[in-house]
Amino acid sequence: MSLSSPPPILSVRPSRALVDEAFEVLVENLPPVSPFTLRSLHHSEDGDDWEAYGHYFSDHSGRVSVSEDLSFGGTYSGREPMGLIWSLRPVPGSRTGLRLRKKDVTTPMLITISLYNGHEDFRDNSPLVSMVTERWYMGPGIQRIEITDGGLRGGLFIPPGPGPFPGILDLWGGGGGLLEYRSALLASRGYICLALEYFKTGQMKSTDLSFEYFEKAYHVLKDHPQVIPDRVGIISLCLGTIVTLSLVVESAEIKPSCVVCISNMINKSPGKTLSGFHRSIPSKFNKIRVDENNHQIWRDVGLALLKEPSMKVDVAKINCPLMLVNGCDDQNWCAVETADDISKTMNAAGKGHLLTRVDYPDTGHLIEPPFSPHCFAGNFFVYSSNEKVIQLYGGKTKPHSDAQDDSWRKILSFLRHHLYCSHKAKM
Amino acid sequence: ITIWHSHCFYPAGKVRWKSNTRPAPVLTAAPVRALVDEQVSIRGHFLPLHCPVTLHARMHSDEGDLWESFAHYNADERGTFSLGGSYLGCEPMGLFWSMQPAPGGREGLRLRKKSVESPYTVHVSLLEGHVSTSEGQWSELAAVTVERWYIAPGVKRIEINQNGLVGTLFIPPGPGPFPAMLDLWGMGGGLQEYRSSLLASKGYVSFSLAYFGWSLLVFLPQAAFLLLQDHPQVVSDRVGIIGLSFGCYLTLRIPTKTGVKVRHEAYFINLSNVFGTFNSWFLDHQIEERLRSAGKSHLLTRLSYPGAGHLIEPPYSPSARTSISDVSAAVITMWGGHPALHAAAQEDAWKKILDYLEKNLRS
Repeated sequence: MSLSSPPPILSVRPSRALVDEAFEVLVENLPPVSPFTLRSLHHSEDGDDWEAYGHYFSDHSGRVSVSEDLSFGGTYSGREPMGLIWSLRPVPGSRTGLRLRKKDVTTPMLITISLYNGHEDFRDNSPLVSMVTERWYMGPGIQRIEITDGGLRGGLFIPPGPGPFPGILDLWGGGGGLLEYRSALLASRGYICLALEYFKTGQMKSTDLSFEYFEKAYHVLKDHPQVIPDRVGIISLCLGTIVTLSLVVESAEIKPSCVVCISNMINKSPGKTLSGFHRSIPSKFNKIRVDENNHQIWRDVGLALLKEPSMKVDVAKINCPLMLVNGCDDQNWCAVETADDISKTMNAAGKGHLLTRVDYPDTGHLIEPPFSPHCFAGNFFVYSSNEKVIQLYGGKTKPHSDAQDDSWRKILSFLRHHLYCSHKAKM
Repeated sequence: ITIWHSHCFYPAGKVRWKSNTRPAPVLTAAPVRALVDEQVSIRGHFLPLHCPVTLHARMHSDEGDLWESFAHYNADERGTFSLGGSYLGCEPMGLFWSMQPAPGGREGLRLRKKSVESPYTVHVSLLEGHVSTSEGQWSELAAVTVERWYIAPGVKRIEINQNGLVGTLFIPPGPGPFPAMLDLWGMGGGLQEYRSSLLASKGYVSFSLAYFGWSLLVFLPQAAFLLLQDHPQVVSDRVGIIGLSFGCYLTLRIPTKTGVKVRHEAYFINLSNVFGTFNSWFLDHQIEERLRSAGKSHLLTRLSYPGAGHLIEPPYSPSARTSISDVSAAVITMWGGHPALHAAAQEDAWKKILDYLEKNLRS
């Protein structure tokens, strides 16, 4: 095989990066002012293919720079250095209701970035050149320890070095299972982080966990020799926020330095177990609406529960800094209204100074670490009725991705301020 | 600025950070995962002003030997220092290329990556004071871990064993076709993959040929060259050869003896004071003579680095003052050279080689 013209050169720098770091995609040696498409492809752990692409024009020196140039269509448009990652979506013909979540954080996500001739018809051509880039949740030297003693199920992530370090308890939401990716990323940013599994997807029985389970987990962190015992915080999302707020208000054992609640719920679970909450929801199932695709909208269930004072955690009793992050287009729960309610209660109790709140426009329920693909609607298993549905989470992709990027940085600065800090954090 | 009561929490050490107006010292590196020829910048923050500190880097070779280096710094008036930044008077990558085998280990070690699909993991500690040895008590204040890779994501590694031809082929990701390089090694012989994997990471199909241990036959390089030319992902008139020390000699035999068409060749030739069994000045002269007699002087590009050691490898690797030659364990050959000059030679030569390949094999 011989070459007629010099081949294009595609570079991605850095080729190995943490998932919250940006990269630069550059193509050189192209014919001048010609249409090209850059496409990213990822084969997920679940076996699905995800793609993103942008349409570009090379300049007179034969160059396309994703950081500097504009995309004129595809899955993203405009100047979007990370568009090839955050606009990833399942390729046409894929299964429905997918959500991209990395289970094994000890290996990176592999993304292949390829260059094609043309715009609308780019798929008719073979790629001209490709590169592979790695996106890691775990930095080098981070230790991962499986936690199984005392009936707990979790993953503990420890940064390299002597420490001591602040600690963070990481609680996900109603999807269940053990998700370690946010913990691995927080450890890569200097925290000892415990990702706690508190029920397995679809296993209603395991939601009979009492708050004792969480207190045990909190102590695993607090008592760890490398953790600063009075610098432990909690980060949570969705169902995890119920756990968090209840623990902070009612548990004598759990006195965190600060708390982050994303996509808020405020509902009290009677009897200090989670199943109490799950048993209370079906009474409001008549409030579930569906959209034109038969996706379930649950936010009105939340609104109905919000109207009942006996069903709410008494947030007036909170004594530590609290950060609330919510999406204004959350269709899964009434997160913004919940935050309004929390604000009102805490202000009335003279605790308003503890509250930090960010509400992002056109943003949905699943606010993930930066550059994660936006999940607009996803498969969900409803414990109380034992059925699989597709829930609508909401948000428009570009604003939602911006919210993920911005909220992560705000969360990191909040954690840094309160966990690497010694001034009066409590009242 | 963040504030922290730090005196309660540090492990035993001579200096207690009693100040409650400073957070704990922090060590950061960027990028934490990089190819071995990419620079890393390391920064320290939140140190007491002007205080002396040591960076201690250590890593294990594939054989399990410990290599380490120490570098002394003083924090500036803001309690920071940085390598690869604007800090005067220090070479950014010195922490890596100045690594030596830790005392008490085996003799005559040379650092060569055997398994290129995994990185070197370098643990960098920030210690209080200026320390230089493994003896005594240290106080580790902070640490960061960096990975040094010989292979980029997506590069495929394929073992070749056909018709007596033994070696490893590396293919860059993507459809190709690509220019290619035949990689020959020196008197150490055996199979060294790490330069090939690096070249593949730059976009060249690269083949490391095993010989000496396997075969002394001269036809092997020719067979290897043809394998590359015939490979469906290789541009057949864009194949080069890279050789080192004895390999240089073999390289030369290909175009002049066997009539195989070679588009370009890259040579490592160095003029230095070399002791021991190998005299490279003599070899250099021979090569030049041969080329001239074959009417091919124009193909020769000579790179010379006075004062540099005979071994020139991808940059920022520790240099070997002495190493046990694989040819005979009883022979320790003085490769010559001084660490700082050698490191500078490595960096410059590698850049020149990559530019040379870019210019001649890609355009």
